[in-house]
Amino acid sequence: MGKQLFRYSEANKEKFLESDNITFNDGSTVSPEEIWHYLTEEAPVKYPSAFEVNLYQGNRGSRDETLPTSLKTRYLGLTFSARMEKAKDNGKSIAFIQGGQAVDPYTAADTIALRPGLVNQWNNGLEYGNDINKENLRRKKSKEKAFHDMSFEACQTGGYEHVQAGDLRIDVIAPYTVLRCSDISYGVEAHRHGPKKNVKLLNVDYPLRYQADKPWAIEYFAQNLRRLVNTLDEVTGRKTSEDDLLKAIKLHNTGRRLGTELAELWWSADVPPTNSDDRASMVSLGNLEVHGDVQASLSVLKEAKKFIAERVKNGVKGHAVADNPKRLFILGSCVGINGSRSEDAGAIVVGRDDQWSHCSSLVEEEGDPYYNLAKATLEYPYEQSIEKRAQWTIEQIKKSRADGVIFIHNWGCNTQAAISRPIVDIIKRETGIPTYIHERDLHGLRDEQEQNRVNAFVEML
Amino acid sequence: MSVKTLDVIRKRLEERPDELRRARENGLKVVGWVGYNVPEEIIHALGFIPVRIAVGGDDRLVEIGARYASSKTCVFIREIVGAFAENKDPYIQQTDILAFDATCLQNYRAAEVIEYFFKKDVVVLAVPRNFHLDEAKEYFAHEANEFTRLLEERAGAPLDSARLAESVALYNDIRKTLKSIYTFQASKNNVISWEEVYDLIQAGELLDKREYLSLLTQTLDELKERQHYPVIASDDGDSRIFLSGSLIPRGDRKLISIIKSVGGRIVGDDLWSGILPHLDLDIKEISPAGVALGYLNRTPHAALPYLDLESDRRLKKLQECLSQFKAQGVIYHTLRYCDPFTFKAKETKNVLAKSGIPLLEIHTEYAGSDYEAMKTRVEAFVEMIKIKSEIAEEQSVLVDA
Repeated sequence: MGKQLFRYSEANKEKFLESDNITFNDGSTVSPEEIWHYLTEEAPVKYPSAFEVNLYQGNRGSRDETLPTSLKTRYLGLTFSARMEKAKDNGKSIAFIQGGQAVDPYTAADTIALRPGLVNQWNNGLEYGNDINKENLRRKKSKEKAFHDMSFEACQTGGYEHVQAGDLRIDVIAPYTVLRCSDISYGVEAHRHGPKKNVKLLNVDYPLRYQADKPWAIEYFAQNLRRLVNTLDEVTGRKTSEDDLLKAIKLHNTGRRLGTELAELWWSADVPPTNSDDRASMVSLGNLEVHGDVQASLSVLKEAKKFIAERVKNGVKGHAVADNPKRLFILGSCVGINGSRSEDAGAIVVGRDDQWSHCSSLVEEEGDPYYNLAKATLEYPYEQSIEKRAQWTIEQIKKSRADGVIFIHNWGCNTQAAISRPIVDIIKRETGIPTYIHERDLHGLRDEQEQNRVNAFVEML
Repeated sequence: MSVKTLDVIRKRLEERPDELRRARENGLKVVGWVGYNVPEEIIHALGFIPVRIAVGGDDRLVEIGARYASSKTCVFIREIVGAFAENKDPYIQQTDILAFDATCLQNYRAAEVIEYFFKKDVVVLAVPRNFHLDEAKEYFAHEANEFTRLLEERAGAPLDSARLAESVALYNDIRKTLKSIYTFQASKNNVISWEEVYDLIQAGELLDKREYLSLLTQTLDELKERQHYPVIASDDGDSRIFLSGSLIPRGDRKLISIIKSVGGRIVGDDLWSGILPHLDLDIKEISPAGVALGYLNRTPHAALPYLDLESDRRLKKLQECLSQFKAQGVIYHTLRYCDPFTFKAKETKNVLAKSGIPLLEIHTEYAGSDYEAMKTRVEAFVEMIKIKSEIAEEQSVLVDA
């Protein structure tokens, strides 16, 4: 018996076709008609796992058919692997980066910057026809290889296994290291013993402890950013100027502003205008790096704001969202809860600190762009001391009118796990909002045990 | 092979907590430090009493620490946090100020958690990951000045250059004497064991520095008297083991006792809690930055990533030590969630295999439940080394014949 697959309804096609094209970095465009064809004809054959109606999917994978942005982010996600392959065929340079960092210098240096999740997404998309369980087994297998070559206690392996196996054509491993995570820096170092000697390695050294107040620390990080751009230039063979960086900063500030405005618009609504996953995918567009194409993200983001404003004005409730859902704010590592199942339990995710911290950090546009970028980066709220980070988080919780807070961390994520208790301690003390700390395995399907805890928490709320 | 001064040192260690209590009653302050790049000379020169906070081997404290710093933090850090929560350790009780460095990110997190939950006065020295680059050294010099400024505030007086020079000279003498003593433990017909020297090194983390130097000098004199020319070479039937990997602090002797119990002889280490921090420390300038850079320029800690395998000074130092101490095998100790070392276990094994040195990784925590499993593995490793050296000896006899 075949798996039950989701299909987009023809009833929504006409409205979708009225929406805008997506414009890409290389100036090419894709029309709504082409997107519709891909989502309804090609993608279900290539990626049946993405269309499988399965409790453990982790998300609804865009089931809000009347929200064009939902279909477009889905399209960008499903074509990601093919687009990265095409970019490489056309000589584009690709860098591995850390999650939670902005990508302005990579954009300036004409390099696609992919965080760990996106590197995995690229690899996942290379094989067609898998159902959700086969896909999961395939991922587990490649992770086992990485654990063997690095450490089985790694929370995530940063694509080591794909890069060193030669499956992904990544030119340079150059993340901001020890920003939020220590495994990334050990992961970068691990590449030195791999067979692929032509992959360039660089630590962009993110210093710790009250660094945003120290001029010498800002200057040091700015020097690291200069070194980063020089390294990226060595790969591309071009010369990135300060003006290029300034242009990239302005472009990314536009994305950050739009992302922030969109989040605030969403929060202003009496009823949640989208479900959890659509909210997250729209807001994360603000960082412009999520789909490996800055211009594509920007064009979808601009249009999204219009749709959300309309929904807020008309009091439209997001697809599959319960009446008066319990509003959850998620903190911690680069993972989340199963949005759709949490909605089934009567909740909705109204915000996360991950991806939001750097989206809400604008970069000054006057003066030395390296210094300004370094300063803004060292000011990321997520990277501050326990007290300072907790205070910023409390502001976001209040703005989003959250009823409960979950601090979630990956198994093996020492850096976030270590401060989970003090952070939720402060939040609970100062807001009175219930909190709990949740650990999950990054590599695998979302299981019952995990959802039981979330559901019990929602029930308690 | 009893060395009399060691008994004196053991006795002085028993008396030390009371001594610290009295010193504090007389207005002195104790700085507890945790890390690899904390420039202890600066603490000493400011008139503080430095003691190293490093405890291990107690899974009950690990459990307590996990309540504050998560069960995913490394065992050593969890135990430290647990010890602060319990507040029964005599050195923790006597600590006025804490100085941490951010070499290891988990160490840094411990500073934050201890500061938050136990309201301790904490000073943190940031440490650059790109430690080998000029701009990183310049940054670290600024950080060392800032670290000193924060300690000066607490001392109520500025750092005096002449006193810093005295402290540097004292610590240099300690390091030099320790290196000399260390040679004796690895020698043929040794009169002091590695285990005794290891305890001796760790005694220096707690004792008064001038007295410690004097005790080290006495120890060295005693050793020289009993063994005029120590020659680093095997005794018959030796299985010469080198210990590498995660630190083994005071209170944790599980692996060390297992190695000894199965007939292995430890002849060297490059542990963060052993001889390594005392090697190659060259302070070129008497200033906070000069001292701190001396620390940063030593063999780097595994928590600081280095991207070129061929020129990695940590691995070169390991190979140099293996050759110097004529080690036949490496037991690579990794603690649960100690990422700086677990990530490098396989790589280190592969590097050493090229020169025919076998490596056994022992991944453990402070619970006793894995004792027998560890023992079985270590015993097999020691036996393998013995057989290998017997075969090598037989072959050399045949060649000579």
